[in-house]
Amino acid sequence: MIQVLISGLFLGGVYALLAVGLSLAFGIMGVLNLAHGSLAVLAAILYKKSLVFYSFSPWTFCILATPLFLGIGFLLHFFIAAPFRNLSPPSATVASLIASLGVALILEDLFVWWQGWEPISTYIDFPTIQLLGLKIPGMRAALLGMAAVTISVCIFFMKKTDPGRSMRALAQDKETASLYGINPGITALSAMGLAAILAGVAGVFYSALYPLSPREGIDLTLKALFIVVAGGMGNLRGPAVAGCALGFIESFTGLLFTYTSTDIVVYSLLVSYLVLKRGRRRQ
Amino acid sequence: MTSWKTSLAFMILTALALSATAFSKGYAGIFTFSLVINGIMATSYDIPGRSLDFVSLGHAVFFGLGAYIFGIAVSKGFSFFPAFALSMLLSSAAAGVVILLTAGLSHGYYSLATLGILIIFQRLFETMEGISGGSAGIYIPEPISNFQCALLAAFLLLATAVGHAVFSCSRWGFFSMETKADEQAAEVIGIPTRKLKVLCLMTGAVPACMAGILYLARTSHVSPVSGFSLTLSITALLGSRIVPIKGVLGPVLGSLVITAAEEIIWTKFEGFNLAWFGLILLGAALYQGLNFRELKKE
Repeated sequence: MIQVLISGLFLGGVYALLAVGLSLAFGIMGVLNLAHGSLAVLAAILYKKSLVFYSFSPWTFCILATPLFLGIGFLLHFFIAAPFRNLSPPSATVASLIASLGVALILEDLFVWWQGWEPISTYIDFPTIQLLGLKIPGMRAALLGMAAVTISVCIFFMKKTDPGRSMRALAQDKETASLYGINPGITALSAMGLAAILAGVAGVFYSALYPLSPREGIDLTLKALFIVVAGGMGNLRGPAVAGCALGFIESFTGLLFTYTSTDIVVYSLLVSYLVLKRGRRRQ
Repeated sequence: MTSWKTSLAFMILTALALSATAFSKGYAGIFTFSLVINGIMATSYDIPGRSLDFVSLGHAVFFGLGAYIFGIAVSKGFSFFPAFALSMLLSSAAAGVVILLTAGLSHGYYSLATLGILIIFQRLFETMEGISGGSAGIYIPEPISNFQCALLAAFLLLATAVGHAVFSCSRWGFFSMETKADEQAAEVIGIPTRKLKVLCLMTGAVPACMAGILYLARTSHVSPVSGFSLTLSITALLGSRIVPIKGVLGPVLGSLVITAAEEIIWTKFEGFNLAWFGLILLGAALYQGLNFRELKKE
């Protein structure tokens, strides 16, 4: 039982990382980015391909790939956020959802063409830690630590730095933020870049823990959306906690039932939560 | 909508219905049947989609429910018409439950919930191997001839279009326009918005359930992936949105464009069909963002 709890915690850490990026994009720009999970898959494929040339550790690769994902985030902004900035908030959310679904579908086919149907796994052998009679895989523990550090750095960035404060101000009131000299375009662009980096880190970590299918992008995004909706859109701590909760739920359901049952439970929770809580609030 | 547009829409629909019954065999039969099914899906999608601006990513849920319940009924020994009536009743009831759950959701959340429900049904029918045949799906013997199937599909297409036109011209159609413009204001002036949404969504769901039944009757096979298909939902969404003309003409022309595009994509760009759909979706969204002035903020 404790072993399942630990396994759920590791998975939850990666989900939390993925959800924090998504929450950032929604909170600041009102973008429900369905291509977020596809960016994670892209990072996993790039990491796997890079291992042919040099055996980078996942964290070294994440640091090296940061500029690339920042650029991808900027590029994505021009397709799924910038064209809809003048629409009313509900229309912009729906338009960005359709556009990002389009991007996700394009990426999924490109991934299968580039990588094939073979699952992406970048597992590296790492010593196992023995703690109080429990066997903890070293790689998972290290990645969980790295995920926690990344989320903490992100929260610190949002709370204590000027660009982070600008992003929060923009999320609260676009017009007032503009009056205080914050450039909404550049701030939104930076938020999208940061979200893409977080998706990339999550993808690299995920592929180091579990095999990732090239067509799993939309599935990952939906799970991340569940976390974001449960944890609170636009806030960073809530998704981190909800991510861990989803990890536990998945681990326990996987233990009790089958893989497909895991999806049924997770998506039923998502829909129930939406129906019971969020749907009643006016956007 | 001006009368010439409605007349044109019904002329195209009649031509489509006639060609579907005239070419019920071979490649032409399959193509015209796809045209009719896509037409039903796009027109039924357009009723809540256009009048309430609801973007559903799970319209195929109703299609899959219709197909599966019909398949189960036929495999249990029911003949075509009792199975048709039973599956229409049960799938409409199931659709009603789904709609009652999601009708209260606001735009973005509604899209997410419908996508979630689509995946739940897909996985559920994959899991229930004893009833639904698992991942392989259900195979049934041909219950009616291809001609009879094409005739029923053509009739359903015309009925859906008439339903769309009647809804748009009825007081519920005007209520939906008011609700789309400002839901709170609509409530203040006494429009029962929740009842309206349920009615609107049900009007769109029932033809989709029946399209699923006819699809299975024509193809004899349905699987969780083909029944509860994201691609089918996107096809319906695109069919409804790609031609920016209000009324029946928009989805009718849209489904013609999308079916032709789908045919080219599946035959000429094998392995990239999703990417092409993605490209069309992206293009449609960007077009909407750049051109739909009425949605723009003052």
